[in-house]
Amino acid sequence: MATMLEQELATYQKQRERLLEIARGKYVLISKDQILGIFDTEADAIRQGYQQLGNVPFLAKQIVEIEPVQNFVSQLLAV
Amino acid sequence: MPSFTVGVPNLEAAGPCVKVSLAVSSAAEEALRKRSEAIPNPMQVLALIDTGAMATVIQTGVAQQLGLKPVGITWIQTPASSDVLCDKYLVRVAFMDSPTTVESTVVEAPLRGVSIQCLIGRDILAQGIFIYNGPVNQFTLSF
Repeated sequence: MATMLEQELATYQKQRERLLEIARGKYVLISKDQILGIFDTEADAIRQGYQQLGNVPFLAKQIVEIEPVQNFVSQLLAV
Repeated sequence: MPSFTVGVPNLEAAGPCVKVSLAVSSAAEEALRKRSEAIPNPMQVLALIDTGAMATVIQTGVAQQLGLKPVGITWIQTPASSDVLCDKYLVRVAFMDSPTTVESTVVEAPLRGVSIQCLIGRDILAQGIFIYNGPVNQFTLSF
């Protein structure tokens, strides 16, 4: 499915190796092509995103080598 | 720990459904107030308590109706597909007829049918107690 955060995800992918070296396991806050900060928790990154940017799309993402996949067994999901 | 009990006429067939109010998070509300922007109205939907859902899901389109913007992404796996990229939104979930309100980053994805517009997943259930009382067609949530 398409994401509204394509540009932010591309920014993360470009910086991924460097971020893994300096902040593995922490959370990065990205708006468009800018990395705005590194945080200990997702909640901190999101709070900072709203404070700095307002109610606009931004990416708060954990810096991990292997992306976790969330599992759903429900047939209600149409994907 | 406050709790509330919901009776469903045929719990086995319908599943543990509950009315919830979805709204922008407190952080988004504060950001909107600071910028003198309008706070979107909450939206009332029917939710299914789904212990098979690792995260809470909102129907595609609900986020837009609520004026929410994505704050993250995740990859999901369902019985029919794997590694599907979805946007995540920070949402305030209020259970109707109870004072219980929780905030969680939820996944937006298409749900089949029109009646269920939200799956309450294990991310929210992790914050409370869920009792399924089949013989009397009731379930109880405590947060």
